[in-house]
Amino acid sequence: MRLRRLSINSFAVIRSIDIEFGPGLNVLYGPNDLGKSTVVAAIRLGLLLPHTSTHCDQYVGWTGSGDPTVEMTFETEAQRIWRIRKQFGKGGSSLLQESKNGRDFDDLERGRKVDGKLREILRWGIPEPGGTGGAKGLPASFLATALLSPQDDVSAVLHSSLQDDPTGSGQERIAAALQAVAQDPLFVALLRETQARRDAAYTDRGAKSTARGSVFKIAADRLVETRAEKEKLEKIVSESEGAERQLRELTGRRALKQEALAGATDLVANLERLASQATCRSAAAEEVRIAGEDVLRIKKIRTEVATTEHEVVELAGKINVSEQILSVARKGQVEADTALAAAEESARAGGSDPGLTDTVVRQQLELRKSAAEQSEREALQRIDAALTAQKLREAVTAAERELREQQARADSAIESASKAIAAAKKTDDELQRCDLLERALDTQAAEKRAQDAQAAVDRETALRARLEATSGERGVLAAQRSAITVPLPGALVPMRKLATDVAAARAGLNVGLVVTVTPKALLDVQVQKDGQKAELTSTAQPLDVEANAEVEISIAEIATVRVRGGRREAQETAKGLETRWSREVEPHLIAAGVGDFEGLDAKIAEAQELDSGIKAKDAELETLRSQVNALAGTMEALREASDRAAVCRGLLGDVELGTLAADLKALGADPTTGLRKLRHRLSKEAEEARRIAGEATNERTLTDERTRQSRKATDAAIVARDAALTVFPEGVDSALVAARVALAAGVAEKESAAAELASLEHAVNERKKRIDAALSGARTNATQAATAVETALGQLTIAKTNHASANGRLIELRRQRDAEDLAAAEARVQEATARHGALLVPDRIVTDDELNAARNAAVSLKSDLDGIEGNIQRAQGALQQVGGAVARERLRDAIEAFELAERQEKEIEAEYEAWRLLLDQMKAADAAQASNLGQALAPAIAGRFQELTQRRYQTVQLTAQLATEGIIVSGGLRPTSLISVGTREQLSTLYRLSLAEYLGTTIVLDDQLVQSDVNRMEWFRALLTEKARSFQIVVFTCRPGDYLAATSMVTDGSGFHADTDSGFVRAIDLERALRPRK
Amino acid sequence: MLRLLHTADWHLGRRFPSFPEEGQKKLSRARMDVVATILDVARRNAVNAVVCVGDIFDDPEPAQDFWDGLARTFQGHAGEHPPLFLIPGNHDPLTQESVWAPGHAFRSRLPAWVHIVDRDDFSYEIAPNAILYARPCRSKAGENDLAMALPAREPGDERLRIGCVHGCTFDIDGYQTNFPIRRDAGVQRGLDYLAIGDTHSFRDVTDDLAVPTVYPGAPEPTSFDEAGAGRVALVALFRRGLRPRVDAEPVAFWRWIDVRCRDMHELRAVLTTPGLDRHVVRLHLDMTVTLSEESEVERILRDLRGTDATHGRVGVLVEDLANLRLQLGSGDEFPDDLPPVLKDTVARLRVITGALDESEKSRATRALAHLYKLLQSHDATGGRDL
Repeated sequence: MRLRRLSINSFAVIRSIDIEFGPGLNVLYGPNDLGKSTVVAAIRLGLLLPHTSTHCDQYVGWTGSGDPTVEMTFETEAQRIWRIRKQFGKGGSSLLQESKNGRDFDDLERGRKVDGKLREILRWGIPEPGGTGGAKGLPASFLATALLSPQDDVSAVLHSSLQDDPTGSGQERIAAALQAVAQDPLFVALLRETQARRDAAYTDRGAKSTARGSVFKIAADRLVETRAEKEKLEKIVSESEGAERQLRELTGRRALKQEALAGATDLVANLERLASQATCRSAAAEEVRIAGEDVLRIKKIRTEVATTEHEVVELAGKINVSEQILSVARKGQVEADTALAAAEESARAGGSDPGLTDTVVRQQLELRKSAAEQSEREALQRIDAALTAQKLREAVTAAERELREQQARADSAIESASKAIAAAKKTDDELQRCDLLERALDTQAAEKRAQDAQAAVDRETALRARLEATSGERGVLAAQRSAITVPLPGALVPMRKLATDVAAARAGLNVGLVVTVTPKALLDVQVQKDGQKAELTSTAQPLDVEANAEVEISIAEIATVRVRGGRREAQETAKGLETRWSREVEPHLIAAGVGDFEGLDAKIAEAQELDSGIKAKDAELETLRSQVNALAGTMEALREASDRAAVCRGLLGDVELGTLAADLKALGADPTTGLRKLRHRLSKEAEEARRIAGEATNERTLTDERTRQSRKATDAAIVARDAALTVFPEGVDSALVAARVALAAGVAEKESAAAELASLEHAVNERKKRIDAALSGARTNATQAATAVETALGQLTIAKTNHASANGRLIELRRQRDAEDLAAAEARVQEATARHGALLVPDRIVTDDELNAARNAAVSLKSDLDGIEGNIQRAQGALQQVGGAVARERLRDAIEAFELAERQEKEIEAEYEAWRLLLDQMKAADAAQASNLGQALAPAIAGRFQELTQRRYQTVQLTAQLATEGIIVSGGLRPTSLISVGTREQLSTLYRLSLAEYLGTTIVLDDQLVQSDVNRMEWFRALLTEKARSFQIVVFTCRPGDYLAATSMVTDGSGFHADTDSGFVRAIDLERALRPRK
Repeated sequence: MLRLLHTADWHLGRRFPSFPEEGQKKLSRARMDVVATILDVARRNAVNAVVCVGDIFDDPEPAQDFWDGLARTFQGHAGEHPPLFLIPGNHDPLTQESVWAPGHAFRSRLPAWVHIVDRDDFSYEIAPNAILYARPCRSKAGENDLAMALPAREPGDERLRIGCVHGCTFDIDGYQTNFPIRRDAGVQRGLDYLAIGDTHSFRDVTDDLAVPTVYPGAPEPTSFDEAGAGRVALVALFRRGLRPRVDAEPVAFWRWIDVRCRDMHELRAVLTTPGLDRHVVRLHLDMTVTLSEESEVERILRDLRGTDATHGRVGVLVEDLANLRLQLGSGDEFPDDLPPVLKDTVARLRVITGALDESEKSRATRALAHLYKLLQSHDATGGRDL
């Protein structure tokens, strides 16, 4: 920090002042009561006091004109310039502004927030204003005291320390400054590199960095990417395997359906064949029937032709007869009656017996035909029955075979299901075993944690014991060390030089003396040589006294003669050196309890050894404390771990952990992973076994159902077969042959009987016609002859008409007869009969319903098969899209990449955790080395203090918290309260300057050195001028000559400040700069 | 006599995600480089035809770099060249969007001697008495036997008949949908040689049959478990009925090996292994080392794998350090003249290495190793450039 400008208005005695400070030494001078300390107070209030504080009441203008205002501009580092403006009093306000160039300021904070921000900038160990317990007045801290110490307590810093600071910011700032100065370059380089490694992975707060480019982010991104790829491919492979499974299942179902469809199609074809055979035979039989009817019709026509010819002949004869009868009738009715009687007699004789015979023959033929037809039907029935029996026998064989197959499949399914269930049970048992092993692992882990926790507790106990013991040892060493007061090793060199100088000086005086005392009478002469013990002699004789450097002779009460060797200058030199010896060396020898340098060296060595021992003990203590701190909460952890172990053991039940050792060992080096893999494998096996069991159970259910149906069908077939076979005791095949023979015989007999019957009918008809015609003519003739001859002509006419009609009919019949070919018709009958005979006789009669049912079943199976084919094509399509083997290969790569990414992430984590640990330990070690701020700061103060006091004082002893314990004088610690005021204020000033130099900040000295003599003030002036080039020093004094050369003063009429020494020294005449109130 | 070069499974565009980034590129590029080698072998042996039976690309729609690179490689072989037949496989099936589609830019870039099998009834008379039949994969998976779909020999046909299909001859779970091929398909279809592809190792699956059915394997291996990869098949067909002669011709640039070192001596010996720059090495370190040895291990690994500035001795290095264990010595690894603060740091870390918690112990041991290497690096650079 460096002050740039200060403006004060209406502040206590000050009406106004506006000062610009130089970068180095600023000496603001003026007479007493001008208001110098008020300016210092204004700086202090501007920096430290909230404008709302009542503490500022004392600075309200004595004459009551306006509220006190302080405006200050300061710079903390390059281009970080701040301006603070505070107006105290009732209408008070605060404003903090920021600038990069010192001209353009931006408001940063206002009101109450100003002081919080200001304290954050200063880092002087002062907390934000407000809050409970906060100081009400002007806040205080070690650095506030050191840098802005008030005039009324210039030595305040000597009885202040960091211990009382409300916050640690001041200590941290000093520690950082001292640490930076004190650190070893190698350590700094290594620390910087380690910090860089740590920062590459973690945030400032210690969390893993997720920023772009951080190692964790890269590893995590890689892991996420590879995991996503793996999961995507796993899904694809799963879908692929699902499609493959579905495909396998569908393929199996397709085979079954194809088989069933083939059976159904075969059945339909068989039925259609039978139906076709039956149809063909019917058509052939119809052809035979039609051909036969044609033959009969043609034969009938022929018969009619013959009959009609005969009738025509007869009618012609009748005409003749009628003519004769007419002529005869005319001759007599008797002949006609006789003829009639004769005709009637002839008709009776020719019509009764033959008619009876014909009827008997017809009846016999009808009976033969009927019997033949009966034989044919029976033979056909017998054939059908035999064929049916044959079919039933085959059906029984097929059904029994089917039953055996179904039973075999059922047995196989049962066996598969049993095996699969056993496998599933085994894997379930093993999974339960896994649960047990997991609990065992938990128990092992818990017991290990408990053991670890117990070990930690034991370790903590041991460490605390070691801590106590080491602390005791350190106390012993410290006590031993405090008993030894020795100068700093660096002070020995000038002391030795002084010893040499003293010896040389003494040697210069050691010239050898012989003094002769010649008494005039008996005299009491006391001779002391070279500082040795005096010897008293009474003599009247001359007395030669020989010495090296000095002889002192006391002669009675008369005189004392001292003779010294060497010149006066040499003696003065020797005296001066001896004085210095007694002042600078002897106190050390006395303090150390030794007489010479050898003893002192030994004491110093002893002290150094003790210091080293203490330091080593301190380091050990620090390490032990950090270890103990690191083990904080171990008891709680032990309780928790023990509880957890008990819970885990409880979960294990009666199972002894030792009995599981072999299983646990079998899980490998990483049993958790091993168990997870084992469980995974077993789960897959269990799932597979359950799947197989499910499939086998389904198969078993199906085969059971099929077996039941097959058995039922077999039983029905056997019953049907047995029923069918009972009617064939001679055997089905023999019966079938016999039936076919009988059928042929029946058919032949039926045809023979039918032919004979037809022939008989024809003959009977012919005869009947002839009798009827004869009888009719005779009767007509008789009637005509009997009734009237006159009608004979009419009868003749009728006869002729009949003759003509019959002749016409004969012509028509002949035409019809000529149009028909009996031989061809008979040939057709033979052909049709042959074809009919050549056609296969169907094994059985197939009904339309049966055929339709078979066709419907086949269509239904075809439809099912088409559905399955469609599903197969869809499954194949799905599989073709995802790609079975391709997806599996890619998944293999993806799993490898994922596992690599996992390993890399763990490796990176371990790597950077190690870097973080290294950094922590380096910092801890560094902090342990630098935590004793007193040790770090004291040499700088001591060096200057020794120089200032011309080594009258050896060193300053500061505590770790920078409290001043005292100064070492002659090896002993002397409190600062026991040294002179002047020396105390000089020591205080040196202490403050050293601090300000380390911190590179402004220090305000308000008439700090009023008790110092001219020489020391001159020394200080030189020091301040030198240090002004390093940091800013603001001195308020009423004696400018103490700090400024005469040439540096503000001259008359040249404004109120003057710069010299290249601007590093600025004199400010406050009498001119400050406008006091009136 | 008819000569044939039979290759397959180039897998252009294949990624190697479990390898270091630089190695991934090398291995991907190697697939393209070997094509030129194969074409040279074909010329040297004066073959009548070259067949590549499937999986030319790793994906049916490869990135342009790969199909463009392949077209350039073909174009680079100017002049007379035996016909080359590319048959789509299950990795790069013939689909409407695939690189094999007639409208794809790849097709227009191909020289006239390159033929794409893009129809099911593909045949080509490669000599007056020899005909080649081929059938492409049209999907990534399929149950149909493409070999059995090739036309059977007609009575009286005395020509040499060569079949080319991609698929799998293993009738086991997971392979039935990977275009299964009957082992006797060549005999069944009356072929003289059945060129197949899919498996990456060289293998004659029918050495007991009259018709060889051969996997030539991938010309560049794709993993460490492909012992017979890196070759093509050179087939000499003499006459109908005489079993052709099949020779495996090495073409691979890379050799993939597993190396396991159980002590520093074995690891140092790796450095002296000749020709490592053409090897893909998976190095397993199964040993316990001290801090100084670990530092040496690190140096050797750096030497093997290379740095930003220098090539590594090994072409592609995969490091398996899971079993590399670090063991602290008696404390003499660190120099005596360390600044006190560093001595204190070492002492603190050593205390932690005595902890019961294995992870803490391991962390502290690693931290000591870091510090040791930092100091060595500092010494090596004179403290100028850590």
